[in-house]
Amino acid sequence: MSWVKTRIASARGLFGLVALAPILLLAVLLLLAPPDGGERTQFLQFVGRFHPISVHLPIALLMLIPLLELAGRTRYFAYLLASIDFLLGTATLGAIGAAMLGWSLGRNGGYSGPLVTQHMWGGVAVAAAAWLCWFLRAQAVAGGRQRLYVLTLLTTVGIVSFTGYRGGQLSQGENHLTEFMPEPLQSVLGVSASEPVVHSGAGGPETFFGARIQPLFANHCTSCHGRNKHKGKLRLDSFDALMRGGKHGAVVKANETKASELFRRITLPPTDDEFMPTDGKRPLSASDVKLIELWITSGASGTQAVDAIKDLPASSTSQVAEVTFDEVDLEAVAKQRESLAAVVTQLQQRFPRLLDYQSRSSADLVINASLLGLKFGDNELAALAPLSERIVGADLSNTAITDRSAGALSTMKHLRELRLMHTKISDATVQALGGLDQLESLSLFDTPVTSANLPVVARLPKLRHVYVAGTRISPDATLPPEIKSKIVF
Amino acid sequence: MKDRIFHNSKPSDLSLASEIHPERVFADLQAQTRRHFLRSLTGGVGAMFLGSLAPSLASANTVELANDGSQRLDFKRDPRSPLSTLPPQFAARAKRVIYLHMAGAPSQLELFEHKPELTKLDGQDCPASFLAGKRFAFITGVPKLMGAQYPFHQIGQSGQWISDRLPHLEKHIDDLCFIKSMRTDQFNHAPAQLLVHTGNPRLGYPSLGSWVVYGLGSENQNLPGFIVLISGGNTPDGGKQLWGTGFLPSVYQGVQCRSHGEPVLYLNSPKDVSTPKRRNMLDAIDELNQRNYAEFGNPEALTRIAQYEMSFRMQMDATDAMDIHKEPEAVRTRYGSKVGESSFANNCLVARRLAERGVRFIQLYHWGWDSHGSSANEALNVGFKKRCLETDQPIAALLSDLKDRGMLEDTLVVWGGEFGRTSMRENRSGQVMEFTGRDHNPGAFTIWLAGGGVKPGMTHGQTDEMGYEIVKDPVEIRDLHASLLYLLGFDHHKLNFPFQGLDQKLTGVKPARVVSEILA
Repeated sequence: MSWVKTRIASARGLFGLVALAPILLLAVLLLLAPPDGGERTQFLQFVGRFHPISVHLPIALLMLIPLLELAGRTRYFAYLLASIDFLLGTATLGAIGAAMLGWSLGRNGGYSGPLVTQHMWGGVAVAAAAWLCWFLRAQAVAGGRQRLYVLTLLTTVGIVSFTGYRGGQLSQGENHLTEFMPEPLQSVLGVSASEPVVHSGAGGPETFFGARIQPLFANHCTSCHGRNKHKGKLRLDSFDALMRGGKHGAVVKANETKASELFRRITLPPTDDEFMPTDGKRPLSASDVKLIELWITSGASGTQAVDAIKDLPASSTSQVAEVTFDEVDLEAVAKQRESLAAVVTQLQQRFPRLLDYQSRSSADLVINASLLGLKFGDNELAALAPLSERIVGADLSNTAITDRSAGALSTMKHLRELRLMHTKISDATVQALGGLDQLESLSLFDTPVTSANLPVVARLPKLRHVYVAGTRISPDATLPPEIKSKIVF
Repeated sequence: MKDRIFHNSKPSDLSLASEIHPERVFADLQAQTRRHFLRSLTGGVGAMFLGSLAPSLASANTVELANDGSQRLDFKRDPRSPLSTLPPQFAARAKRVIYLHMAGAPSQLELFEHKPELTKLDGQDCPASFLAGKRFAFITGVPKLMGAQYPFHQIGQSGQWISDRLPHLEKHIDDLCFIKSMRTDQFNHAPAQLLVHTGNPRLGYPSLGSWVVYGLGSENQNLPGFIVLISGGNTPDGGKQLWGTGFLPSVYQGVQCRSHGEPVLYLNSPKDVSTPKRRNMLDAIDELNQRNYAEFGNPEALTRIAQYEMSFRMQMDATDAMDIHKEPEAVRTRYGSKVGESSFANNCLVARRLAERGVRFIQLYHWGWDSHGSSANEALNVGFKKRCLETDQPIAALLSDLKDRGMLEDTLVVWGGEFGRTSMRENRSGQVMEFTGRDHNPGAFTIWLAGGGVKPGMTHGQTDEMGYEIVKDPVEIRDLHASLLYLLGFDHHKLNFPFQGLDQKLTGVKPARVVSEILA
């Protein structure tokens, strides 16, 4: 390899200096003008956008070199060794260029945070390490310390990997490698697919933020700025995430609504391109916006108590939660149903269309005997005894049941709704219902009951309505007022 | 018989058919041509391959996944009882629906929308901003603003405004939940009605009632799960597609019943045909249909069998359910119902009787609300008044009856038209018309809901001071549908049916929102 040294020895010295200078310059630049989340020159942002493209050349070259060194030791590929010096030089220049572009992007494009800092210093280190490899290799070839070169080369590969990973995290999300990692591998490596969210403990449910502001974000924002999507690198699913801000830096500035990007975006005219929530999603209501404004002007705190802010807009105090849907956990439901499943199936066969589960997500049962009419009587109801604890709704209207069923009904402890319209039941049955403390609604329409035992049921804690039209109870009956309000004549 | 092996039907079918019609066997054999043989040969190879896969596909505990990867709800039923009940996805607030559609779109400004500002500006030229970019059915040039034609007053504990046209309904004002910010994108009756009832302004989509019966089935196996009753002298402009099934199996479609005479024409056996004789006949027809199904595998053949069976059972029950003679005189008086008439009052009474018999979805249409002012019957000062008289008392009686029985708790009553009416007086061809009327306004209309898990005595949404455009909480038709399905125990995404490569839903593909503000 002496030809390298002899023919362009002076050029080498020159290259060494020319390459080292920008590396030092870079280090100074990073120290004096680090990315701080602000957005600056558009032109440099434009240039900086080429950073992700340009990094691949030095990465590929530096990863290739150990391979060439190994292959070059064999007879067939010995000629490869001749290229390594050139490739190291190119990698050095490429790394310097990429790092320059990286700084342009980071400094001007609104980046900040530990990921950016680590990635940035990693980039400079790669450039420096590549230069060192180039330098040491020439020494090694000339008979210098081979081991030092090998060690430096391996370190360089390590730095490249680390920096590249951080870069990937910046552009594709912190969990981009682990997100779809198979579960067993995750547990072996001890990583969690979900992004680690640093919790400072701020923004809990007892705080104003947690109770009033977070639900607004959850309803309007987190489908794009949440756990699974972080558009604009912004997450609004916790106080810490909100305060970390997005790719343009902080979105909330305490006490200053005008300087808070988040507030500016939600108060733009809805037709504006930058208006949030975007794309026809449901905008925040005026009272929601007012609430966020109050929170920012009172310090944008994550610890402020829920009742610390007075003069809330009226409607915000009666916020209605959005309806969300959960998947039915079929296994859990099957487990709950298991113990009585055989009895249910057997009785379903005996009385077609009489009983069914209240819903697909529940083990509770509802019975509707009203269509069986007089074919259904006290004996049939008694057959349902094994299930009585599970029955939450029962419609026994039009059936032949009598007061003999009072006992069966009294065992249905979880009954919430009971219809006994057009039956022969009387006061004795009403008396027996006195223990059903889950009962919410009772229809006695067109039955021969009197007001004698009505207070027994009307006093049940959850009872909302007793329907007594068509009974012997007249609207003028003297009943305690707290009971009368529940009775529908 | 040489290629019996490719013939799916059992030999017993053949012998049975030969009893009915020996020539049929011969015709059947002749129908087996060389082409049939070759076709079933290629199909047969594929079928054998698929057959080998079948056991693994049909393993019992696998949860089928929808296109978006979420768990699919299973709506499969025994094909012989396609209306059997299935539990809702989660605990439902409403078990059945009575939908009162006022076909032609009643004027919200004469009923529920109190707009004193508009009354002040009555007779003035409509501002240009009302007209820019708008399409009207009839308004041309610059129409005049028109205030409410009837006085309004506040009533009930909820203090809601109502006009003097609905003296009976106003007694129930604290049971009603108004949505005054409904909007649609259709301004002609037929497509707007289709949108309200099928979620789509074009033909070919299943109606709300069909979806509900598909999802929940019908408790009463002797009556259709979805019954339609019509009054006002005309079928709504949207036609029978309003209760059609679109791509759902046709057994879920609405059955239109008459509210006087025979509820369903030709349901009862003709004179001198005894029930056993009828039964024999049905058995034979069923065998033929069964055979057709075995041969071609078309599920509609099963639908046909199920429908024949249902109509046989209906002979008893439908007649009884529709027979308002059986109601006491006093009840009929409360509804303002007259036996033998085809009226909205009778239909309301029948609706209550059907609800008591476990019919899942009861759809009433009352025609004649299209108050343009183009004729006496289509005028706010004549026809509209009559429509109010025809509907006010029966609706109030229906609500009372449901409430007395405790059935309003799980019966959802919906009242509404297909769009609203303009704040301007209609000026057809730019002329002042003899009668007063309003044009179509898809931008804002009012509906009300009652019972079935809806918050009573409230108003959701708001229009501007002219009652012309929504200023607060707009509700799309798909939002209403999502809310109704929610009350019935469904996530509107999950009540779907795979068709044309898409999990088709009532609410379509645009995001729909459950109007949580109106939930009790």
